[in-house]
Amino acid sequence: MQENSLYFAGIDLGSTMTKVVIIDADEAIRARVESHTGAEHRRLANKVMEQALEQANLSFGEIAYVVATGYGRINVPFADRQITELTCHARGVASFFPSVRTALDIGGQDAKGLKVKDGKLIDFVMNDKCAAGTGRFLEVIASTLSLKVEELGSISLKSKNKVSISSTCTIFAQQEVISRISEGVPLEDIVAGLHSAIASRAVGMLRRLKIEPDVVFTGGVAQNIGVVKAVRENLGCEVFIPQDPLISGAMGAALLGKELTLKALAKGESIQRGERRLAEATFFK
Amino acid sequence: MTEAGSQGLSRVKEIYQDRSHRVKALKAEGKQVIGYYDIYPVLEMLTALDLVPYRLLGDMSEPITKADTCLPTVVCPFIRSVMDLGLKGKYDFLDGVVMAHACEVAEKTAHIWRIYLTPAYAHFIDTPHTTHAAAQKQHKELLKDFKKTLESFTGKELSAERLEQAIRVHNQQRTLVRELYELRKPDPPLVSGVETLQVMVALTSLPVEEGNELLRQVISEVKQRKDGPSLRPARLLIWGSVIDNIALIDMIENIGANVVMDDTSVGSRAYFSQVELTEDPLDGLAYRYLVELKAPRTFRETVLSETGKKDYMTDLENRFGYLGDYAKEWNVNGIILQAMRYCDIHGYEVPGLKDYLGNIGLPNIYLEHDYSEAALAPLRTRVQAFLEVIG
Amino acid sequence: MTDEKKKRAISRLKTMYPLRALIDGMYEQAVEASKDGKPVAWCMVNWWGGDVILRTMDVAAVYPEDYSAVCAAFGAAPAYLARSDSDGFPTHMCGYARNCLGYAAQMKDLGEIPPEAPMGGMPKPTLLLSSGFFCDTRYKWFQALGRYLDAPLWVLEMPHPGVKESRMEGVREHNINFLVEELREFIAFLEHLLGKKMDWDRLEEIVDDTIEMNRVWHQVNELRKARPCPMHSRDFWSSMPASLYMAADPKVTTDLYQKMYDEVKYMVDNHIGAIPEEKYRLAFAELPPWHSLGFFNQLAERGWNFVVESWAYHPPKPIDLSKVSNPLERIANLTYQYFSGYFEDAFKVGDWWGYFAHPYLEFVKEYQCDGIFLHPLLTCRTATNHLLVVQDQLMRKLKVPSLVVEGDIVDLKLFDPADALRKAETFEETMSHYRTVRKEMGLAW
Repeated sequence: MQENSLYFAGIDLGSTMTKVVIIDADEAIRARVESHTGAEHRRLANKVMEQALEQANLSFGEIAYVVATGYGRINVPFADRQITELTCHARGVASFFPSVRTALDIGGQDAKGLKVKDGKLIDFVMNDKCAAGTGRFLEVIASTLSLKVEELGSISLKSKNKVSISSTCTIFAQQEVISRISEGVPLEDIVAGLHSAIASRAVGMLRRLKIEPDVVFTGGVAQNIGVVKAVRENLGCEVFIPQDPLISGAMGAALLGKELTLKALAKGESIQRGERRLAEATFFK
Repeated sequence: MTEAGSQGLSRVKEIYQDRSHRVKALKAEGKQVIGYYDIYPVLEMLTALDLVPYRLLGDMSEPITKADTCLPTVVCPFIRSVMDLGLKGKYDFLDGVVMAHACEVAEKTAHIWRIYLTPAYAHFIDTPHTTHAAAQKQHKELLKDFKKTLESFTGKELSAERLEQAIRVHNQQRTLVRELYELRKPDPPLVSGVETLQVMVALTSLPVEEGNELLRQVISEVKQRKDGPSLRPARLLIWGSVIDNIALIDMIENIGANVVMDDTSVGSRAYFSQVELTEDPLDGLAYRYLVELKAPRTFRETVLSETGKKDYMTDLENRFGYLGDYAKEWNVNGIILQAMRYCDIHGYEVPGLKDYLGNIGLPNIYLEHDYSEAALAPLRTRVQAFLEVIG
Repeated sequence: MTDEKKKRAISRLKTMYPLRALIDGMYEQAVEASKDGKPVAWCMVNWWGGDVILRTMDVAAVYPEDYSAVCAAFGAAPAYLARSDSDGFPTHMCGYARNCLGYAAQMKDLGEIPPEAPMGGMPKPTLLLSSGFFCDTRYKWFQALGRYLDAPLWVLEMPHPGVKESRMEGVREHNINFLVEELREFIAFLEHLLGKKMDWDRLEEIVDDTIEMNRVWHQVNELRKARPCPMHSRDFWSSMPASLYMAADPKVTTDLYQKMYDEVKYMVDNHIGAIPEEKYRLAFAELPPWHSLGFFNQLAERGWNFVVESWAYHPPKPIDLSKVSNPLERIANLTYQYFSGYFEDAFKVGDWWGYFAHPYLEFVKEYQCDGIFLHPLLTCRTATNHLLVVQDQLMRKLKVPSLVVEGDIVDLKLFDPADALRKAETFEETMSHYRTVRKEMGLAW
């Protein structure tokens, strides 16, 4: 098998969003697809994979290795291997920033802290129990304020005098917000305070690891400029943001697939593939 | 339902599924069964009077309902489960209970159990918290008190001879358990973490001599089997609060590891120290059940340096050095620290233990759960990621 | 409601103020002692045994469990809690412990008392004195402090017999012996650490003074059985710390309690209550919401007089020690009496949780309470464990209802006074109802 004709796919089936990335042997991105996960993981996984293949103008058989990651990784019947999002995000973030040592990933439903060394995950911490410090917090707040989640970041940047939201719990924070509104506090100050709160919660989790530069902030919430600012302030150091924060998991998955394949080839072993059932799972019909 | 002639591991699995089957049969024959929890009640004193010790365990799959009337939700879910089962009548077959001051909630529940379940016989052993000379002396006095109420309850004398005999049989069980644990040293281990736990649970459900016989069968079977655990890169030790259900270890092993050693109370903590036969047997028992038993609920002082100051790393070495030894002996390459939510005893240990393990270069991860099967799902990703890190 | 009426909702005893002030100086004293190179101990409350020894040997004591409550009240706790969280201590554990661990971590990093620490902070200790009383956190927390402090730790043991076991022959004796020998070992440890010998005469005096202090303080609380009750729980909580924290010479404290006795006696003789109109007499368990004590003023306006509370803080029932001469035995007896003083009553009625839970049955009878306010705490298991049993027993045996309002020792947002007040309104009907029930049953109140 010629190495330069190899392609690798990574699929990150998150609780909110699913992302697929196809790379070639030079690690260039040939396809990038994102979609809301919804409830039917298997059907959705098949669908986004097909979309990605179409984008890359490839057939499924041309993919040398598929790695699935994310919350729903066990629901990807065509994957050759499933690897946790922790390991995959570490790998993906390291491909964007080779000097990364600490990464913070805030997704829709959870938050993760990663320690990385030479592109490999060496330690981690996770928050998947508590909404505060995750994208969910922002959704609840946006809903309370009748705003779109996407608007929150720019609104927060307008603040000159952010309020302190002291609640560590999303429900209590909501109550605090309502109180502040009735007190006549400007909207941007409340929103900025909330961004501080989510940053504080997430960084608090991150501090359970020894924070070392370079620090990278990734995941869906890293697209919110208000949270980015708050994280930078809280950490008091330079924080790097990938151009495409959503795909660090899928990218890492694809890269790990490449690594596994090349390792096998170098040893002269056959590549351990999965069953690769890309056809629609029958029991969903 | 026990098959006639069922032996070894298949008998173990039967007992694991239906723990109280054997003791109920023994009761029908006229034996008396005394319930206890944790590892501080002195079992030899029960065996010596022909009482069958039966360890109270919880049920991870049973939602806690009745215990809410007497134990708040912010306490150990295992003890809550035990209390819940008691209130639901699952332990009505017991003739009595003996409980000890294993931890704060265990102590308080001993009193609550007596109030709400009115056992015919109950005794509380106020096991001291330290190994001070005064504490050791007190512990012996406490065992003398226990002796009195047992004699009163059974109408028999707890003679030194009877006690010595019981000590020998219980020591025999400890030796056999060690033998079984030796079979976890090869790579792959000859017996899995799940199977070992099932054996441990089975032992807590049988009179000691029957347990010994079962152990001999298991050891022999395991030595000869060809269908043992497969080779996996990760060899783990699991530390922490009581594990009485295979769900967690099963999950860990299925993800791709062999759990080859434990430091938990339905495990090595209960068996890895012998009782020394002393002229007054109570001396050996008092010493073993307070000083020899290694568990975080017992406070051990660090020998002070000449400056009168404490050295943190020396303190950690004194408290946790035995884990480093286990890791070496069982060739462990990763440690799972697990504790139940609201377990103070284990919770406070975690940072120090992580410091110690970091110092000796043993990768480790801390998992917190609340003693329910639902609680295990979020742990799956963490365990897998940990295996990816050490892999 | 006029301001004047609000101010007079609870008549505070004049003699409470100097007692409360005794504790305020505790932190400053410790910092000064430390600056002078004198030994300082961080202590858990140990119900006198350890404290009398420290005082005799001139060791200044501060109490982290009090300090954490101070941090919580001053809003300084969140920063220390965050530090303890990031150092890996599970968040379900005692808020006081976590606050203190965070504080110690900061102090270690800075090499000095954190500048923003309230009340001047706690200085670096020469030793840690913990105890095995009631709660596992007590000694595990202090053990965990070894991560940040190099002070040696002594854990003072305390027997916790069961009710039945305590009545067996020889049990009281071996428990007292245990306490005494523990104290002896502690003294030997201190002598070695401090390089000085115990002054036994001085110890004897301090022990006697401490026993006397508790006797007088107990008398004060007996007076509260009067109707109307002359002394509200708020005054108890303000005056109690002087008896548990050895911040002053016990002679001084005794004198202040004696003055309080005189003031309260006067009120009893003249039928003066702590609140204008005592409609309901309440008990309280277990730890008060220290940061929100003003809440009780609002209840007082509704006629709620809190007449007895917090068993763990109460002085022991008096005990005849005339035949016990050895000071260590005397103080050991006092401590043991504190723990097991209600065991005889409990044994008589077959109630097996003789401390924490059973005393409330006695309290409620003796102080004629219409209800009990139960305050479960999220991170203090020790002060929460018994509340369900208390609730159940009080209703089953004495037809006294409970009002349950949750809170926490350091997360002050968990206590919602507005919500509690709403519940209080409904509870008044419940209390009135059960008064009738009790009368029908022939109970005295």
